[in-house]
Amino acid sequence: MMSEEEAYETVKQTLKEEGISPYKPDELDVVASIENCINCGTCINHCPVVAAVGINRFSGPRSIAVELSRSPPEYWSAGDMVYLCTGCGTCREVCPKNVDIPEIVNLIRARIFEHRPDLVPKGLHTVRETILEHHLAFEPWDDEEEKEASRDMRRERFGLPVIPDRVVRDAEVLFYPGCQAEEVAQEVKEAGKAVLEFFEVDYTLLDELNCCGLPSRLMGDDQTARELADELKAKLDELGVNKIVTTCAGCTSNLSYLASRDDWNMPVYHLVEYFREVIGLEKLKEAAKQETSGSKVVVTVHDPCHLIRHTSRQLMNEALEILDCLPGVEVSVSEVEDSCCGGGGLVAYHSSAIADAVTQENVEGIKNTDADRVVTPCPLCTSQLETRLFKSGSSIDVDDLSVFVAKYLPFEEKTSND
Amino acid sequence: MAYDYDVVVIGGGSTGTAVARDCAMRGLETLLLERDDIASATVGTCAGMISSGLKYMDEPDIVDMCSEEVVHFRRIARHLIMKNPILTPLMQMSDVSTGGNFAEEYSKRAETRDVPPVLFLTPEDALEIEPTLNPNIIASIYFEEYFISPFRLCLLQALDAQRNGASVRTYCEVHDIENLDGGGNQVTFFDRVSRKTESVVADCVVNATGPWADEVADMASANVEIRPNKGAHVILDRRVVNVGIIAKAVDGRMIYLFPHENTALLGTTALDTWEDPDKLVASSDEIEYLLKSMEWVVPSVREARIIRTMEGVRPLVADWKKPEDDVTRGYDILAHEDDAPGIFSFVGGKLVMCRHMAESVTDMVCEWLGVDKTCDTHMQPLPGMDGDVDVLALSKKYGVSQHMVERMRTRHGTEAEQVLELADAHPEWKTTVCTCEPIMEAELRYSIQEEFPRSLNDLRRRVRLGTGPCQGTFCTYKASAILTKELDWSGIDYQLEIMDYLAERWKGKRPSLRGEQLSQEELMQGIYSCVGNIDQSDAEYQRKPWEGIC
Repeated sequence: MMSEEEAYETVKQTLKEEGISPYKPDELDVVASIENCINCGTCINHCPVVAAVGINRFSGPRSIAVELSRSPPEYWSAGDMVYLCTGCGTCREVCPKNVDIPEIVNLIRARIFEHRPDLVPKGLHTVRETILEHHLAFEPWDDEEEKEASRDMRRERFGLPVIPDRVVRDAEVLFYPGCQAEEVAQEVKEAGKAVLEFFEVDYTLLDELNCCGLPSRLMGDDQTARELADELKAKLDELGVNKIVTTCAGCTSNLSYLASRDDWNMPVYHLVEYFREVIGLEKLKEAAKQETSGSKVVVTVHDPCHLIRHTSRQLMNEALEILDCLPGVEVSVSEVEDSCCGGGGLVAYHSSAIADAVTQENVEGIKNTDADRVVTPCPLCTSQLETRLFKSGSSIDVDDLSVFVAKYLPFEEKTSND
Repeated sequence: MAYDYDVVVIGGGSTGTAVARDCAMRGLETLLLERDDIASATVGTCAGMISSGLKYMDEPDIVDMCSEEVVHFRRIARHLIMKNPILTPLMQMSDVSTGGNFAEEYSKRAETRDVPPVLFLTPEDALEIEPTLNPNIIASIYFEEYFISPFRLCLLQALDAQRNGASVRTYCEVHDIENLDGGGNQVTFFDRVSRKTESVVADCVVNATGPWADEVADMASANVEIRPNKGAHVILDRRVVNVGIIAKAVDGRMIYLFPHENTALLGTTALDTWEDPDKLVASSDEIEYLLKSMEWVVPSVREARIIRTMEGVRPLVADWKKPEDDVTRGYDILAHEDDAPGIFSFVGGKLVMCRHMAESVTDMVCEWLGVDKTCDTHMQPLPGMDGDVDVLALSKKYGVSQHMVERMRTRHGTEAEQVLELADAHPEWKTTVCTCEPIMEAELRYSIQEEFPRSLNDLRRRVRLGTGPCQGTFCTYKASAILTKELDWSGIDYQLEIMDYLAERWKGKRPSLRGEQLSQEELMQGIYSCVGNIDQSDAEYQRKPWEGIC
């Protein structure tokens, strides 16, 4: 007679052979939501990937709901489709039955990752190696001095003040710039610090940043995603903070998701939300009034999916209110303002042609406005749009919203007043 | 004297098709007559479990036979088979099945079937495997069973019979069997397609008509008694459980929730019945019985999406004055030597035994005919079993999505490549017709050309057309157009076929309509009535000769 432990090991072996990873309790709601699909196809007409590359290349959200997600032992065979989803969440937003397609995509990717890692696109394995080695989604700088030199160059280019990194215990707020702002778009981190400093927020950075786990979750590496989340939570407890403010749209949605899933009991804010709810727009307006160059600028706004669809549409109303506080800024609305930039879902890491085809839709829309500049509260959207606009020969610049706002704050004056 | 055939097999279910295959493989001139379509009655409503003898551990000979049959099926039709791990969660110790020595009997034969013995799991481990379980379970029994696609099994048996020289005719309803003076039996049947009556003479007749066995025997003035017992299944839109679940029902019987292909089946009831087996529908009592019973161990089952029900009649051996559970699951072959020589009738039996039943009756037929040939049906593979299928390579080679090819593989095995060849020759046939399954046009064309369907309902049985969550909402009109083209029908036929199919589906959908499925049904009504205007069609429906007036 087999012991209970041996019995359980035997059962797990059979499940592995049959390609079944049991649903976790927190996944059951997702499965129940997918059952509601009535195959109406509304989502297909709104999916930016289907629009960009056609239904034969990417079979679309409807196919994920009624076809690809019905039988766990067959999830492996969905690998050629589910990795092309940018996870923008447009399908869920237009769905008359509130079917949670982006989450079932993560769930299927997690099964493929577990049972058939050979079918996970190679580009994602590379990202995974970086994450496993450094606990960051972007390769860190080899040389700390070079990293600082790059940061200083960017500060200068964007006219941002020099503010040393600050790590203190028991601060009110953790400022979490995210991997991209830490290693690549350093000006976003500098701008975030500048804004918080200017408005005298009691904040701290992490001594050592670690990824929130969103890229791991998106590639299906559920285990690493959960480990990173736990690691981050331990650091938060250690520091003794009770709020998180981030400048990254992806981090905002993922940290909010984790805080709710794992009962962190800690509010997560995107900086735009923190402006509106805590700092107060009046203060911003007052400060920005002192920007006296009198120059006018026409901007168009791009809405990050991770804010409008994965967090709340209210966030972009707040972003517009912030722009409204800045003198001389006029907003020209793009007809594709809320269309996915193509940078989501890690698609660009293995199928860049598809991601770029999605971006192209935005490039056309942006060119049709009379804007000199695109502003978006997401470093990923910023980078994706910047590259494609440049390659299409456009002279339109793209700014992360935090950087754009920081430029309107009169630091010298403040410093001299002190 | 030479007759038209050595043997006429009546009934195109699992047994009839297995008999036709065995007879043809032993070189007999064989005709299979089926009143409707292959697998259109009892076997088409079963759960597809090729059971190791789960419910009849008290009959060790039958358990031995079932175990061996599982091994044979895995040899001849591996591409149609999936394994399901199964949990029997116990809420209290008395929930243990009354099967007595189940664990011992099962475990004795486990190794031959390539499964572990019966195991006992802690509640924590069971909940880890299946988080939908009631957290108050006290223990779980675990074992493994194999499942087969009953439709494809029957169809492949029929196709293999054809390939071995048998004549297979669907939509041919036998209405008279006459024992001729001087030997031979004349079988008279009505061809529903040509609408002509025909007669053939054969040495032997095998009556494999399941719940109609008594009726058919009666045509030959032979006497057969069965104990008809109906069973209902509730079908969920996807595999909502990770593993199969067995639970003790309100009346102490055991019922189950089994993942099957891309659905889950909740079943089954077992009720003595004297209803006409042609007119069965699942009653709300049966649906409630199943939900109520499963709810104790899987509390969320009632919220799961039911897409339809299905109901069939088991032709049990006529053993009376005891509960259905105590009736043998074995089978009998009645040789009507006195009343109708040369005629053999089946009673009893289970899906897993169909090949064994065929072997037994074919032995008897051969003896009757004086033919000395041994059975080989357990060794020779069914069509599509010529080796492994490299789904990824085929997907790449033909530019068809991996999942589409994988689903094709589960139906056609190695013959999937022929479907893909067809798609390659006609790139416009790569379009997806049924989005739930999915099925591309080339597969429908292939099935129509090679697998003799006469209706959309036949295509449902062959390729699972319209069996997904939307229940034919998006494929019916497209598939009807393809069928019309291939069979050279008229525009009126096209419309009537859509209506026929929707009406047929409606019978299975109506008893369980609730919750989310109501939205689906509204959408379907909208498409076919409001947009397609099919409820206002002036295509005149003429009642068919075999359709009763009721």
